[in-house]
Amino acid sequence: MPFVRFVAFAVVRAWQGFWRNAMMSLAATATVVLMLVLLSGLFIVIAGLDSGLAFIESKVGVTARLRDGLTDAELQPLLSDVKQLPGVAGVGYVSPELAMERLRKVYREQGQELNLGGASITLQASIEVALTDPKMGTSVSNALAGRYEVSQITTKQVDYNKLLGIIGVIRTVGIAALVLVGLTVLFMIVNMIRIAVYSRSGEIEIMRLVGASDSFIRWPFILEGILCGLIGSVITIVLVAVVWEPIQPIMVSVFEMPTAVSSRFLAVLSAVVLGVGLSVGALGSWISVRSNLSSAT
Amino acid sequence: MTGILERPGQTRTEGDGPVISMIDVGMTYPNGKMALIDLNVSIPSGDFVFLVGPSGAGKSTFIRLLIREQLATAGRVIVAGRDLARMRRSQVPALRRRIGIVFQDFRLLPAKTVFENVAFALEVTGTSRTEIRRRVPQLLSLVGLHEHDDHLPTQLSGGEQQRAAIARALVHDPSMLIADEPTGNLDPVTSWEIIQLLIQINAMGTTVLMATHNQEIVNAMRRRVLALEQGTLVRDESGAAYEREY
Repeated sequence: MPFVRFVAFAVVRAWQGFWRNAMMSLAATATVVLMLVLLSGLFIVIAGLDSGLAFIESKVGVTARLRDGLTDAELQPLLSDVKQLPGVAGVGYVSPELAMERLRKVYREQGQELNLGGASITLQASIEVALTDPKMGTSVSNALAGRYEVSQITTKQVDYNKLLGIIGVIRTVGIAALVLVGLTVLFMIVNMIRIAVYSRSGEIEIMRLVGASDSFIRWPFILEGILCGLIGSVITIVLVAVVWEPIQPIMVSVFEMPTAVSSRFLAVLSAVVLGVGLSVGALGSWISVRSNLSSAT
Repeated sequence: MTGILERPGQTRTEGDGPVISMIDVGMTYPNGKMALIDLNVSIPSGDFVFLVGPSGAGKSTFIRLLIREQLATAGRVIVAGRDLARMRRSQVPALRRRIGIVFQDFRLLPAKTVFENVAFALEVTGTSRTEIRRRVPQLLSLVGLHEHDDHLPTQLSGGEQQRAAIARALVHDPSMLIADEPTGNLDPVTSWEIIQLLIQINAMGTTVLMATHNQEIVNAMRRRVLALEQGTLVRDESGAAYEREY
């Protein structure tokens, strides 16, 4: 029972304290929301880009167009040699007929029919090299470039590298922005609690003199910071839930990311937002209580 | 919890030893100022003692040492059998519950009623609501404020505010009451009412230490007087007046 009384006392005092300095508390809460919205946005974008990266990884390979008129005796050693290259998962041969069939299929998927106007066109044969690691694309391309049988090489390696670079930049900039906003939030909460301590210095003095323990004096202030983080987290989770439906089609079309639109993703994001909000609130108030109440108790 | 109202007329016993012992106590502030010098004082349980001296004599430092707001830089301060220098920080609240303290400026919380001000001191030490509802009216009756329990401090006279402060100081049934200039803001008639209340509390067994400049009260009471001057105990006499009489 004494512990229950202590918890009840601390929670009630924290709630009263939060609203007693409402302007300061709400300003601190607003910065918590700003930080958590930024965190959520970064979380979503990076998850989307990671998903896009995984999509591109699955598509990254090397396609080598072959010279016209290549004989089977020339083709088989090429296929055999390519299979031996490091980083090669497999090699497939695309004959001119198969290439034409694929082209027709692409047209059909768009609701059209390939019309060559009666002309007879022969597409180039090619080999498609699947990679064990997308990063091996350059070495495989270099190896193929020196072969007599190959006329042209195409790869998505450049797209992959570009996306990898973008993700790196976004992650770095995002984390730097988050750290800056996080420090601002800490500063706001530290000040909020400092003002609360000074505005209640009379009560604190009475508490000390009548024999209140450190816990009774300190925990209401720490809970006040946690309350700030909690309210900020809940507002952010509600905001994300509200915009979640409208942004789903955008996420799918931009990132092609089936993982990011799952309800599990939203649950994980909510847990991260709640955890970060509560942690920042607790840390800020703990710092403030340590520096402003140490001499008072 | 035993209540102060439950044993009127009895003398509290704190064992055989004194409730306060100061042995060779010195207090020097970081700026080099010596607030107390080589002080030796022993106050038995149940005593009523005046602490007198001009401003800057060391009275406030004396009181701060007793409630362990400060630690002596020399000697030993023993309160209720506990050496305060050896007391852990976590044990200080328990010490302060054994010492009630009232000030010249009352230090009531202005937004709380009389009842709430007294109840606050119990609430912040984890006392149950049932106990608070039982105890606060008893204390307010003791100090004669039971009909003013719903008044804010601003609706009370100075004397009534000091009574409320005394009620708050008694919530934990302390063995000692320290009154730091309790009549400093009061007119003579009201001052005597407060003194009567302190005498009544002392008669119930609570040791009373009262710091004051009020010569009339000290002279009329003829109790033990500790006189400080420039940090030194210049007089410790029972049944004494404010000034030494030759």
